[in-house]
Order: sequence, then structure tokens, then C-alpha cells
Amino acid sequence: MRVYLYFIFSAMILFSVSCAPQTCYENTDADVKATFYLESNTTDTAPTNTAPDSLTIYGLNMENDKLYDKSFEIKKAELPLNILASACTYVIRINGVNDTVGFGYNSYPYLISKECGYTYFHDLNPDSLTYTTHKIISVSVIKNTITNLNEENIRIYY
Amino acid sequence: MRKIYAYIISLIFTITCFPLITKGQDTIDFPLNIRLGIEAIGPVTYYTDKNILSTEVYLSADLNEKRSVMLAGGYLDYKYSQYNYEYFNKGYFVKAGVDFNLLKPLKSQGRYWAGIGFRYGISRYSSQVPSFSVENYWGTINSSLPLRTSWGHYLEAAPGIRTEIFKNLSLGCTINIRMLLYTGTGKELRPIYFPGYGLGGKKTNASVSYYLIWNIPFRKIRVIQQKEAPEETDEEGDNTATR
Repeated sequence: MRVYLYFIFSAMILFSVSCAPQTCYENTDADVKATFYLESNTTDTAPTNTAPDSLTIYGLNMENDKLYDKSFEIKKAELPLNILASACTYVIRINGVNDTVGFGYNSYPYLISKECGYTYFHDLNPDSLTYTTHKIISVSVIKNTITNLNEENIRIYY
Repeated sequence: MRKIYAYIISLIFTITCFPLITKGQDTIDFPLNIRLGIEAIGPVTYYTDKNILSTEVYLSADLNEKRSVMLAGGYLDYKYSQYNYEYFNKGYFVKAGVDFNLLKPLKSQGRYWAGIGFRYGISRYSSQVPSFSVENYWGTINSSLPLRTSWGHYLEAAPGIRTEIFKNLSLGCTINIRMLLYTGTGKELRPIYFPGYGLGGKKTNASVSYYLIWNIPFRKIRVIQQKEAPEETDEEGDNTATR
């Protein structure tokens, strides 16, 4: 009896020291996920999630640091919000035509996990959403809570 | 006179029948103990990693050969640091519950235990994030989270074993499977680690504990062993009495 219990003890000791340190596997960026919808010329056809032929995106006054630079096949873009402020604006160039989209939001810290640490989530204020309409037709908010999950937040119709 | 005859007949009946009642039934004297234990992994871990100080003591008392009640308490001083944040947590916990011995009395004899315990735990702790940093396209923000005090609640199932290594001194080991009920901090800033529970980011948690236990016998009870029914019986009335 005692021998069996000692054996089980030893196995439990080995089990307790065998756990390896964890690594961060989760996405730590809480960005606005913007999908692009091409409006049809006919009124009876619904807009479709279509990538622009050419897409360039950068922060206002940050032209030298582009998030997307004449990129193609981008159906969904990820736009980080400025944690150091409560509002930020992006320049979005669709097929060579510039527009701007501005966001207003409040940010709060969020623990992702022990391995990944903290990030900031945001609550978009739909009333603070602004945009120009040179190529963009409209922008709608689908989900105003900005997290690190892969969820659609806004739709840009062009 | 009639009463005397009745008394004599009763006495004869008692003397002759008692061996029939007890004959063929195994009984053992089972010692009941009060146990004082100290968890051993915590001090060993602190010796190798000065960032985690975890202590736990426990007290249990046998109710019978199968059940015992337990009460445990402990203290945690936890520090964690990595490239993008620091975290501190300090506090106490208390847990109480019942342990069930699955070994038969003849095998356990009050010295061995293999079973499972069910407990409820509550923690009071203070946590703080002195610094954390988040970097993205727009730049890097360095911030902190102030000290806050919270209550945490959890349930625990603890299967384990215990064996006597010297007289009145035992070693015990349990696998603690915990389910978080409430952290007291909200979903956004749940604790990374809190007393009694461990990693607070998960709804369930598992850990191993090792105990050094001092057994204090306080009483013996007589336990009647249940005999297995024989395959062929010629005699009738082979009763098994349970206590």
C-alpha cells in the first residue's frame, strides 16, 4: 500500500515541475476593423464586400508612415486608434482619391492575459464619426466596442 | 416468580445469542485524528523564486472513517514583471470544506487516505500595476493602475492521497481543481494571480499541493466491516450490520 502511494507521489512531483512557461499567442492590438463595400450602380443590387483596386491609409500628418501603401485585395483594414488622445483622423485614398475619416472615442486599459499583458480597448462614439465624401459614399458603425477580437467595427461604402 | 423466570430466560438468551450476532462479522478499531498540516511547495518555490511567497496551513478533524472537515488559510505576496508591465498582489485566503476517504477502513486504518475534498474559498487581496506600456502606430503610452482591494470567491475539488511516513507524521498531496466564482475587480482588470486561487485570468485553474501533516489521535471508533456475500450459502441469516 505504502509503495503504491510513494509511486503516485513521485509521479505528482514530476507533473508539478514539468509545466513550461507560457507564451503570448493572442492578438494584443485593439484596432478598428473597417470593411470596404462597393456600392452598385443599380438600386436593386446590395453593396458587396469588395476590395478597392488601390488602397492607401495613413494617419493625418503622418504621410511618411503608411499603414497601407497602394495595397490591393484589402477587403478589411485595421486602423489603430491614438491612445494618447480621444480622437484621431485617417487619410484613406481609394483608387487614387483622398478622403478622411475621423473617430472620437474613450479608451480604457484591459488585461489580455498574464503572458500578453495589458492593452487599451475603446468605445467609439458614433456621433463623433466624421468623413469626407470624395470617393467614400458613407460610413456606418457596426460594433462600437473596439477589442482585439476579429470583429467588424465599421463599413466604408464607396 | 414469573418475573424472575423471565429475567433468567432473557439472560440465557442474551448470553447464547450475542456470539451468534457477532460471530462472522469483522470489526476494526479505527482511529480518528485531528490533523495540523503545512503546505510545502510554497516555501520551496520562494527559495527558488523570491517573487512568489505563498504559505498555507490547514486543520482537519475526522468525523468518522470516511469523512472529515477541514479549514485552511494562507498568505500570498506575488510580484511579476515582464518587458511591458509589472504586477503586485498581496493578500490572504480562507477555505473550508469536507474530505471523503474512498479507501475501506481495513485498508486505510486511519493511516492512509485516498479520496477527494470539496471546498469553498474566499480571498481578500490588494493588487496594483505600477507600470505598463502599450505601443501602436501612433506612439507608446506608459501608464499605471492604482492599488485596489478586492474579494475573490472560488470552489475547489481536491482529489489526493496521504500516507503515514512515521508515527503520527504524514505526507499528503492533492491536485486542486478550482472554479472561479468572482474576482471582485470586473472583467477588464481581473487579477493576474490572487491568494488561494492562483492565475486569476482563467475561469478554471489547477495546481498541486504537498502537505506535511501532524496527526493527533483523539478517539477510536469500532467499524463493522461489510462482508461480501458468498457465492453459495448453506446457512441462513448471515446478516451484515452497518453502524
